[in-house]
Amino acid sequence: MKLDLANPAWRQTLPPGRSVAGDAPAVACAFNKDGSLGGFALGDGRVRLLPADISAGETAAGEPLHGGVVLALVGDPAGDGFVSGGDDGRLLRIAADGRTSELACQKGKWFEHIAGHRATGAIAASAGKNAYVVKAGEVREFGPHQSTVAALDFSKDGSRIACAHYGGVTVWSIGQVVLPPRHFAWRGSHVALKWSTDGKFIATGTQENDIHVWRMAQATDMRMQGYPAKVKSLSWTADARFLYTSAQPVFTAWPFSGKGPEGKPPLQFGDEGAGLMTVVAAHPAAEFVAGGYDSGELQLGDIKTKRSVVLKMADGSAITCLAWSPDGFRLAVGNEAGTLLVLDLRR
Amino acid sequence: MAQAQVPVTVLTGYLGAGKTTLLNRILSEQHGKKYAVIVNEFGELGVDNDLVVNADEEVFEMNNGCICCTVRGDLIRIIEGLMKRKDKFDGILVETTGLADPGPVAQTFFTDDEVKAKTRLDAIITVVDAKHFLGQLDQGSEAEQQIAFADVILLNKTDLVSEDELKKVEAKINSINRYAHIFRTQKSQIELNAILDKGAFDLKRILEFEPEFLHHGHDHDHEEEVKSLSLTADRPVDPDKFQKWMGALLQLRGPDIFRSKGILAIDGAPRRYVYQGVHMMMDSDWGTPWKDGETRSSKLVFIGRNLDGENLQRGFNDCLK
Repeated sequence: MKLDLANPAWRQTLPPGRSVAGDAPAVACAFNKDGSLGGFALGDGRVRLLPADISAGETAAGEPLHGGVVLALVGDPAGDGFVSGGDDGRLLRIAADGRTSELACQKGKWFEHIAGHRATGAIAASAGKNAYVVKAGEVREFGPHQSTVAALDFSKDGSRIACAHYGGVTVWSIGQVVLPPRHFAWRGSHVALKWSTDGKFIATGTQENDIHVWRMAQATDMRMQGYPAKVKSLSWTADARFLYTSAQPVFTAWPFSGKGPEGKPPLQFGDEGAGLMTVVAAHPAAEFVAGGYDSGELQLGDIKTKRSVVLKMADGSAITCLAWSPDGFRLAVGNEAGTLLVLDLRR
Repeated sequence: MAQAQVPVTVLTGYLGAGKTTLLNRILSEQHGKKYAVIVNEFGELGVDNDLVVNADEEVFEMNNGCICCTVRGDLIRIIEGLMKRKDKFDGILVETTGLADPGPVAQTFFTDDEVKAKTRLDAIITVVDAKHFLGQLDQGSEAEQQIAFADVILLNKTDLVSEDELKKVEAKINSINRYAHIFRTQKSQIELNAILDKGAFDLKRILEFEPEFLHHGHDHDHEEEVKSLSLTADRPVDPDKFQKWMGALLQLRGPDIFRSKGILAIDGAPRRYVYQGVHMMMDSDWGTPWKDGETRSSKLVFIGRNLDGENLQRGFNDCLK
């Protein structure tokens, strides 16, 4: 892959790409399945779609799709566009041409978290204490959990979903055969969750600034402490050898190959940012990683060479979301001030 | 981001006391101001506002071994969500259920860094039904806790009781919490300036808010009851000894101490040291400088259950130079 993430020239000038000054905070971003569009969920109810190809024309901002804030956005695993959730209680499918259709509606609740599973085309989303799985036009409900679902993710094969809530994680089998859910308990409030890319681990971030990881096979668990803030962003590398975590000034990766991370310090590398990392995204294929900071900086790193480059964004506003295109050539970035970027990182 | 913190006002009180009436009054009378309203799922009446969010009052215990460190996770989540909106608002009003313990709500604003960065707890307002309050006190600890936590108390429905009964209720409220402002009201009618933007949790405004704060006195009521008391000292405080004593006190008695506040004359420090806490959680800062020739005295205030004033005063005295 022709990528040079630690290109020192980018210290002065951002990589080529598309930059749009939005006027509402960016909440979430994603690429659609074929990587032709970067999608941005905004704090004014709009979803902005930007063509990844710089030579393509600009798209209009469009009308608000949700009542208040668009709280979640993923690439549609079963379509050419996106799936969005809002604080108007609606879960929407947005086609690449901008047309929308409602997948689910829970009046008075917020659709806050969405995950998509590419191979099966299933969508999981949470509103209040329930999770919903949308597949082939059918919507099924899982729950209620003991508190509002604070994060969710699919297993590697798409046969299960994991939901984070007070007191731990609940794993549901979503096949046609109804099985009782499995609970993985740990006291406190769990606010982030990612299932490892090999399916063997579930990691959560907690209200107490820790991360908690369960080993699925033995149902044993481990706890990593010492973060100065809540870890709200977790990202497993494509080969599942490392788990990246936010809330540190540098890239922080826990090693999961061999015997696992117990008793070992995390691997840390990169330039110390001006603040703490708010969001981290491992590259979908290679050893690269992108991190956004509350200071507005963006850092790109390579875990193999431990080289990195810090990119300064003009407005210094906290980065709120990052997403790699499926081919790994492009990176979508959004910040609190509403600046939306789709960067082309090919050399 | 240099963004002003959004003030949060918490409304507590038994079902039927007049919370929702007060809420609607704030919304209709504060012209030109935009509020986000977080209501509980058992709201009595409709709330007339553009931005109403239903909360389930999801309380969780912090995983730090402290049973009184309970927090409203749903509030953290809702406030985070509201702060992502493009359209900002002037304030947030949180209505709790009739039987809610205000502790977790208050502690949420001491616990979560993001909530602290973007909002500030302005005051806890408790609406009291003058006719039924004394009876409600006997039904459980909630009515008492709601008084103990309050910065402002609306003694409502005064038209339904005699002056004698009112005085009895006021005396009871005073015996629990003598630092709250009490307003007699009918149909929750109140000059809103008196209850909004109080800065009751603002360390810089501790002195300004507490007219009774400089007043010193002990109650010799039954100790099991919830009451308020203050401790004073005229000699400078040894910061290390104080920290040790206060730390141990809150560790041991945190669940019983609902609120605490203090202004300390630290030995050798040119400025006041101010703190305030809810159960075991605490915020502190340096306050205004002492003026030349000013008497440097320290005051502590506790509102809680099973407080032994003399014992506490002795402990405090041991922290003095």
